[in-house]
Amino acid sequence: MSITIRSTIEQQYEVPARRLEMDRFVVPAVTIVIGLLLAFFLIFPIFSILQLSFFKDGVVSLATFTLDNFYKYFTTTYTLNALWHSLYVSFVTTVFVTVITFFFAYALTRTTIKGKTAFRSIIMMPLIAPSIMQALALIYLFGRNGLITSHLFETDWNIYGPTGIIVSEILYCLPHSFVILFTTLSAVDIRLDEAAESLGASPFKVFTKITLPSAKYGIFSAAALTFNLTITDFGNPVVIGGNYNVLATEIYSQVTNLYRFDLGATIAIILLVPSMMAFLLNYYISRKSFSMISGAARPFIPPSKLLKKISFTSYSVLVSASIILIFATVIIGSFVKVWPYDWSLTLDHYTFPSIGGYSAIWTSFWISVIVGIIGSFATLVAAYVMETRKPFFKQTLYFFSVMPAAIPGLVMGLGYILAFNKPYYFFFGTPWIIVINIVVCNFTLGVLSSISNLRNIDPSIEEASISLGGDTIRTFFRIIFPLARVAFFQNFTYFFMRSMTTISAVIFLVSASVHLAAIEIIMLDNDGWTASANAMCTCIIVIVLVVLGISNIVNKRTIRHPEGGAQA
Amino acid sequence: MILEQRYFMSQKLVLENINKNFGSLVAVKNVNLEIDPGEFLCFLGPSGCGKTTLLRIITGFEQPSSGVLKYDDKVINNIIPQKRDFGIVFQSYALFPNMTVQQNVAFGLKMRKMPNKEIDGRVKEILKLVGLTEWKTHYPAQLSGGQQQRVALGRAIAIKPKVLLLDEPLSALDAKIRVRLRTVIKRLQKELGITMIYVTHDQEEALSMADRVAIMKNGEIRQIGSPWDIYKAPESSFVAGFVGTSNFIAGRKEGSSVKIDGYSFKINGLEEIKQNTVYLAIRPEKIELISDQTNMQQVEKSNIVDVIAEVITFLGAVVQITFTIDGIEMNVDITENEFERLELRRGDKIKLHFPPDKFHLYTEKPGNLT
Repeated sequence: MSITIRSTIEQQYEVPARRLEMDRFVVPAVTIVIGLLLAFFLIFPIFSILQLSFFKDGVVSLATFTLDNFYKYFTTTYTLNALWHSLYVSFVTTVFVTVITFFFAYALTRTTIKGKTAFRSIIMMPLIAPSIMQALALIYLFGRNGLITSHLFETDWNIYGPTGIIVSEILYCLPHSFVILFTTLSAVDIRLDEAAESLGASPFKVFTKITLPSAKYGIFSAAALTFNLTITDFGNPVVIGGNYNVLATEIYSQVTNLYRFDLGATIAIILLVPSMMAFLLNYYISRKSFSMISGAARPFIPPSKLLKKISFTSYSVLVSASIILIFATVIIGSFVKVWPYDWSLTLDHYTFPSIGGYSAIWTSFWISVIVGIIGSFATLVAAYVMETRKPFFKQTLYFFSVMPAAIPGLVMGLGYILAFNKPYYFFFGTPWIIVINIVVCNFTLGVLSSISNLRNIDPSIEEASISLGGDTIRTFFRIIFPLARVAFFQNFTYFFMRSMTTISAVIFLVSASVHLAAIEIIMLDNDGWTASANAMCTCIIVIVLVVLGISNIVNKRTIRHPEGGAQA
Repeated sequence: MILEQRYFMSQKLVLENINKNFGSLVAVKNVNLEIDPGEFLCFLGPSGCGKTTLLRIITGFEQPSSGVLKYDDKVINNIIPQKRDFGIVFQSYALFPNMTVQQNVAFGLKMRKMPNKEIDGRVKEILKLVGLTEWKTHYPAQLSGGQQQRVALGRAIAIKPKVLLLDEPLSALDAKIRVRLRTVIKRLQKELGITMIYVTHDQEEALSMADRVAIMKNGEIRQIGSPWDIYKAPESSFVAGFVGTSNFIAGRKEGSSVKIDGYSFKINGLEEIKQNTVYLAIRPEKIELISDQTNMQQVEKSNIVDVIAEVITFLGAVVQITFTIDGIEMNVDITENEFERLELRRGDKIKLHFPPDKFHLYTEKPGNLT
């Protein structure tokens, strides 16, 4: 190798000093801006709820502090019942979902049954539809005019009430709980089971002494999440609950039917307590459980015995069939003339009779695209600033970022009306408040997944850029962003999906001029257009599926490209 | 040669009383160092000795808890890494995977707002320098580890750094490529005349490449000097054991001899030791095997020991014979030629001579003696 450098007299170039001077303010500025935005769109609305529930007419002073609202709540049997109802359905749902998903995850991780990929895709399906679809389908199957209740068995029994809520919530919560238990069971080393077996433990002993205890954090975490999802869900109980009120529906009816914002706020606080507790429990547990997951556990699963295979296959088929039945009912129900009397096919239900109609779908779609872009970008920036640049306010920002997961969407939505329904908040009543609300409500998961993705990027890459003279903004856009783009697409899909399907977060924020598809489902069902509600639901499912498919293709392309897979 | 030296306008880098604590952990302790322009200095030490922390302090990624860092007689403690103009080569290469080889090399120049035309010229030169001209449009993931590290080297040199810092740049590579890249790096350093600070835990790397080696332990520099000086005269038992290998043994001082078990060794320089217990170190190749060809005139009779060759390890040009004195395992290295001539077998009785002037004496207990 010969050294031939001739151009030695040339000018020495330096990194422009002014740019680096300015660079010192970039990270603090971004931190403060994100912090202030979260304070304004997260803390302020919550504060407004507290203000209205604890102070007479919402005027904060010592003299106006009052517990009257709470007194009234706890002394009125009807409203107090909502609390017991909520706790009851949430508890029962939690038990069922945890048991069902545990064995489902067990079948997919610890046995050698066939069709695992299919089972896994099916149990994730509820994520692509609003949490109202389950109730709609159950009414078609087990309602007063249900296909199975009144036509197959000709009984008067129907599913309205607590049973309906529980069954629909079970079907809705399956994927959430499954993801946690699947991760747990895949991570726990199967060789422990084998070691116990080789020492002479019976299969039952192995299960109770090894498998269950090693998965206990995952089980608690899944249960806490299910409890939280169920107690804060609005869509299913409002459709199938009938006269059986729960906290979420009670908040809604106090506010929209009785215009009692103060009582609505009070119930919101009461709902906040158990959901906060479930969140904190989950947060505490998941911290512990991650320490148990070892990277080395990618074991070979010994072939299961025939009986085990048959029973776990039948079980998985049963669970999958229930989910498919729900989807099939809603989709078929949207195409037949009069369920369950006239089965001839029609597109009539797709001429939506409500005000929103197709424009609601269109609005939902572009709002979701914007939510996807803003949400995935904002969470990536927040994660980058916290994880890589470690600014002064890191802890505060992190606290703000995980808080949304603890706050039910309905409570947040109520907080938004209370806080921002003032003439000087120009964004109130526009689609923008919905965009902001959905981004904030789902901020936690976006930030957490961005953080874990950034941790996969070698920290030396960032330092290499800095040592070569790269400032924060260029390092982020030229290096970090391209490396994190697979996660960026995934986050985009997540935000998009959440935005298309969320009901509780935005039910208070739709207005005369802004209609959303998911909310239209409730409106249509309320007005007796159940088949059209199904049709609207089907439209949402199709849109989400298409976007999911596109994002999958984009993802695969990105990963296959030589520059893509290396670090990301 | 004169032209190339002007390519890098390095100045003196000075570290004064540098300390770094992480909480109660002392990572770097009282480091004083002057690095001359164009010098190749190596920090050598076991993992966790603070060598990487010291490097990061020089780069500006860590701030020293106390102490002053000077470049060209100006304090640079408060200058941010971007402005220090120090090139860094990382153990993990840290190439930008989303950029081609030439984009990687051009990155620092772009940050410096160099006109594109000049960038093209400089990138071409650099790629030629590191022998990657044909690979310029490839992405890092398409290159071998050795090639990637050459890109990283080129990327760091492209900005004409004032100092080039390398953090264990070769330890992720295969043994053969490692040896080849050593030559590449050393040639670049000498021919470009760039100041280079190199961190490694591999003594062979340090001894073969550096002008000066700084041996570090527990955050302190224990000895600094040319590889040759350090090997010949380790100032502490730690250095004697860490750089090359040494046989250690503890003994009691008696006049000009040291008593060990049943033996008594005559040793030069014992007068300087005040303590009664002495720790002796002798390198395996300094012990002599007595044979019929040995000139017995030059042998100190009292330093001859009868031992049994317990293990014979063939290392190529050198054959290592393991024996025991006072329950302590020791090695003697003989050349393969000598080994062949003597036809040694495992279990053979051998006579060894420990020359009185080949011992290093320490009062500090070596790590491997209990």
